[in-house]
Amino acid sequence: MLHRRIYQFLLIYALGLAGLLAIKYAVGLSDYVIPGATALWRTAGEVIGRYSGDVLDTLGVAVVGQVVSVLLALTIGILGRRTTWFGSFIKVAAYNVQAYPIVAIAPIIFILLGDGFLSRLLIAAMICYFPLLLAVVGIMSEPVPAVEHFYRQTGRMRWQLEVKIRAFENLSKLTTVIAGSATLAMAGTIVAEFIAAGAGIGYSIRIALYQSDLAKILVALFMIGITLSVYQGLLEWLGQVVKRVWAR
Amino acid sequence: MRKHYRKGAVAVYVTLAAVFLWWDMASAAEQKVAYRLKWLINMSTVGDILADSMGFFKQAGLAVELKAGGPERDAVRELELGYADFGVASADQVIQAAAKGAPVVVVAQLFQVNPLQWIYFKDKVHLASPADLKGKRIGVTFGKNDEIIMRTLLARAGIADDQVRLASVRLDYTPFYKRQVDLWPVYANTQGVEIGRKLSQAGEPVGFLNPGDCGVRFVANSVVTSERMIAEHPELVRRFVAALLQGWRAALDPANTETAIAHVQRHDPDTPRDILKAQLEATRPLIQPPAGAAVGWIDTPAWEQTEQIMLTHKQIPRPVNVTRRLRPVKE
Repeated sequence: MLHRRIYQFLLIYALGLAGLLAIKYAVGLSDYVIPGATALWRTAGEVIGRYSGDVLDTLGVAVVGQVVSVLLALTIGILGRRTTWFGSFIKVAAYNVQAYPIVAIAPIIFILLGDGFLSRLLIAAMICYFPLLLAVVGIMSEPVPAVEHFYRQTGRMRWQLEVKIRAFENLSKLTTVIAGSATLAMAGTIVAEFIAAGAGIGYSIRIALYQSDLAKILVALFMIGITLSVYQGLLEWLGQVVKRVWAR
Repeated sequence: MRKHYRKGAVAVYVTLAAVFLWWDMASAAEQKVAYRLKWLINMSTVGDILADSMGFFKQAGLAVELKAGGPERDAVRELELGYADFGVASADQVIQAAAKGAPVVVVAQLFQVNPLQWIYFKDKVHLASPADLKGKRIGVTFGKNDEIIMRTLLARAGIADDQVRLASVRLDYTPFYKRQVDLWPVYANTQGVEIGRKLSQAGEPVGFLNPGDCGVRFVANSVVTSERMIAEHPELVRRFVAALLQGWRAALDPANTETAIAHVQRHDPDTPRDILKAQLEATRPLIQPPAGAAVGWIDTPAWEQTEQIMLTHKQIPRPVNVTRRLRPVKE
């Protein structure tokens, strides 16, 4: 699974790059607009070490942000699973708050919390949290009558058991959603860094943009893509392990 | 009766055809030109606005589309892609583009003095010479030209990297207002006026560090076009530059103060009138050419120095001989 993720990414990246180079040579654009293969290779050699550190820094924040948002989404999703007033309030709130674009809220966060770790973490968690919450609320609100009926009839149903049954029945869905949310956490962290932070790969992309250096941006995109592919592959593998262990 | 209808219909057709023909000829007479500015429309673009609103472009037979710039806009790139015919770019953009083979040329230099300066609280920072920067916490936008300018200033003053603290500049000025950063980069004719006035009114007088006063002449906004445009449409280039510089001359004329403010305010309605007036007064000396030179004069030694600075700071891998890209246009 991991190697499939990686080669699929490499294929997409190579196709995108080939498209750009085809436009460059067909239209006769300079290296300033689209860098040539040599310029790209040279730039990669110059910045790959620094960008590796930056992308790992971003990944670190994204992972913590994702863990926070998964825990939060599970908590709120479990609380909001019931067809009570509170449950419906949670769902409505989740839908409404999701309507606010994070980039509009981000500057306020940076003004209040500064440009350090906390702002990046909060924005990453916010971007990743809402889709996760919607998925968790959906999964947890859906009864599994075939199994739950027995426990209800015998009076042994407790909320912990209900959550376990629904989570187990939808384990594939949950692991897919969590693996998918890694992309959102990473994108959230990069957006935060791009807007105002002073570290991470998003910050490096912003500097490259100031310098009109598309070669650096392409290298950064490669680093982000490959790191994210590995991380998502690991999450999917972890999901399979959990499934196997739980099925025993 | 039917004959009358027929005659009436023919008359309507003929009139409509004449109107469309006239309309077509009128618009064909004006040559369409796309002009990409460097930044959003504010007092730094006053001459560009006046060239359009006072009808100088129209008189030159040009229908110019003024396109506001911004951080994500790059006039040099748009010239090459054909989205713009002319644009405004800073010298570092031009030199970087030239180093990568972009066919960009400079036809006029709008700012004779770079408006990029550093604001500081006079009661906290005492700057008699650049050597006084030692030990200060200085705001720079890492990767942008203000970082290069400040590093050059520090190097010339003999201040090593570890003798100052460079702080990353962000969207808001809070670190400066809280006095966590001693010097903060601003455009002296726009942000500098607004912030300076607010702080002075609050009893906190501010000063400005102008790198130009310390011998660092890093060229700012200039008008650029492509090699191809110059070669294939020299007459269009001449007409455009002449009309544009007429706009900038009008901006320098005190008689046009009210007109200039009114036209800029249409695009920048959030800035109060008195601030716009102060901004205009701060902009004029930056545009004013030296004695004997005309508005739009290209300061060749300053361009050479800019290239040298970029070379020293490894912003370009090798010399680009930027003077070959300077093509002043005779009006």
